[in-house]
Amino acid sequence: MNIPVIEAHALSKNFGSTRALAGVDLAIHRGESVAIMGASGSGKTTLLHVLAGIISPDAGAVTFRPAEGAPVEVTALGESARSRLRRERFGFVFQQGLLIPELTAVENVALASMINGIRRQDAVQHAAAWLAALGLADMEERRIGELSGGQAQRVAIARAQATGAELVFADEPTGALDSHTSAEVMDALLWSTTGQGRTLVVVTHDPEVAARCTRTIAVRDGRIVSSAVAA
Amino acid sequence: MNANVLALLLRPAPGQNSVLALPVVAFGVVTTLVLTVIGGAQSFWGWTDEFAPVYQALAAIALVLLVVPLVSLGGAAARLSARRRDERLSTLRLLGVSPAGVTVATVAESVLVAGAGAVVGVLGHLAISPLVGMIPFRGEPLGFGAVFLSPLHIVAVFGGVLVLAAGSAIIGLRRVVISPLGVRMRSSVSSVHWIRAVIAAGAVAIAFVLIKVFPSVGSLVATIAVLAGVFGAVLAVLNIVGPWVLKVSASRQLRRAEQPERLLAARIVLDSPKTAWRQVGGIAMASFMAVFAGTGVALLDVMGGEGATASDIALADDIRTGLVITLIGSFLMVAASVGVNQASDVLDQRELHRSLHHLGMPLETVDRARRRAIMSPLLVTAIGSALCAAVVVFPLVGIALITAPLSLLTIAAVVAVGIGVVWASTWATRPLLTGAFQAA
Repeated sequence: MNIPVIEAHALSKNFGSTRALAGVDLAIHRGESVAIMGASGSGKTTLLHVLAGIISPDAGAVTFRPAEGAPVEVTALGESARSRLRRERFGFVFQQGLLIPELTAVENVALASMINGIRRQDAVQHAAAWLAALGLADMEERRIGELSGGQAQRVAIARAQATGAELVFADEPTGALDSHTSAEVMDALLWSTTGQGRTLVVVTHDPEVAARCTRTIAVRDGRIVSSAVAA
Repeated sequence: MNANVLALLLRPAPGQNSVLALPVVAFGVVTTLVLTVIGGAQSFWGWTDEFAPVYQALAAIALVLLVVPLVSLGGAAARLSARRRDERLSTLRLLGVSPAGVTVATVAESVLVAGAGAVVGVLGHLAISPLVGMIPFRGEPLGFGAVFLSPLHIVAVFGGVLVLAAGSAIIGLRRVVISPLGVRMRSSVSSVHWIRAVIAAGAVAIAFVLIKVFPSVGSLVATIAVLAGVFGAVLAVLNIVGPWVLKVSASRQLRRAEQPERLLAARIVLDSPKTAWRQVGGIAMASFMAVFAGTGVALLDVMGGEGATASDIALADDIRTGLVITLIGSFLMVAASVGVNQASDVLDQRELHRSLHHLGMPLETVDRARRRAIMSPLLVTAIGSALCAAVVVFPLVGIALITAPLSLLTIAAVVAVGIGVVWASTWATRPLLTGAFQAA
């Protein structure tokens, strides 16, 4: 765990007159699960978006160090290069799953690989294996509207993993779920990321979710105010 | 719900002007087209000579043809208007407003937006009537006075647009679940059965027999009336079989899809073949008519070379003019309907598109998929309907192709340009999609 898989230095970001990030330094190591907590408007989602290359900071730098290949300075990349990085190297899980409603579960998972140039047959096989591993073996052909919230979230987790993402970003992945389903989704998320030697960064309000991560970072007024490793 | 709360809810939010403008423009286009179509048709009703009934019968057929794409466009405009308020509906429920109260707010807003659009539409009718009045029939322009509607007719159309908006808003509400926890679409998959194909084949066969029998008996007007009846029946059948054909075609494309956009496009059509058909169904009518009437016009041209009177020749020319105008009208309405539907879908899926952007999905993939989901059914519909019409008027279409190819080619060119216009309309909403992708 000595080499940071992603590292941020002196990140600042303003939205108009609102300061979302105010000089954030952060290093996340391979195999870690890091919970970012904070009140609404504290800057935690902005931090996740900047780390993932979804938005650019006003100042500072983010460096991603893949397992193979040279380090990539995310903040120096153009929009299309950042999109490609997100598509090929990162995985995402959102609060509402946000899956494509017209596609079946297996097609939602396979689509990400197909965009990366994988043949459809291979992409579907790989997607089906991930769905089975996450307990959705008999739900492959169901459309998203036919799944429960927890099942849809597990499809989203499979989608985040199907491309072999080294780093998974999750934004309130259990925010719309009851406590029992929430625990199941966290089981699936942790097993599929840190359980496979990958890294998880999760923004959450839920102390129970944070308690299951190896480290919890607290953000307030755009600054990291504490970083606590789980006992 | 009291009037003050309703007024507060109906007030446009800051920054929503562009979102509000879309349905206003859509209703404006609907109103202009309805007024112009009726205005064009009414110009024939003042005629009283021996050929007048022929013109009036043909104008009535053209009106019927244009009703389908117009209703589709009107429905699309109303749905677009309804979707932009979805986010507020769940808040209303959360605040304790009853489902009936939500309906009142929805209908009131839809009618207000439609009313603003209808005013724009009346101005549009006023603006384009001089151009429409320049179209020649019987060798001279129709004239502005003949095609511009009376105030009474305009008020009637205005009221009709408001009723359409209110009705579509109520129907639209039936398709969504509005709970205090949010608005979501019902997740049922629409299904279409193969029995539709059997009904269609039978009806086309009956039409084929009738076409062979009736033109040989009775007057020209009676023949037109019978042909119109057969024509209407075949169009009704096209409406029955259309969704099934699109489903079969999309299923085939789904099995073969290797690119993400092809997979997505096929699934969009399969998600609701009836919706896909509603969007392009107007083209079925236009394409069917292009072959059906185009063959007739071509043969009239041939007859004109064999000692026909000046009136016969003028009639053939005028039928061709009317045919081309109806084709243009149909394609314009379908293009507008596609544009409005696409705008509506993009607004409806903003959150999803934003998340796809976060995932790194290229804008091009989504854009190509949605355009393919329109153009593929459109081509299947246009070509399928043309083939259907060719079967009904066989072997006359073959004779027309040999004896008067230029006449048929002109009509084919209009159809091709029309398809191009629809294709262009799918590009018109790209900026909206780009906006949704960029809004990180």
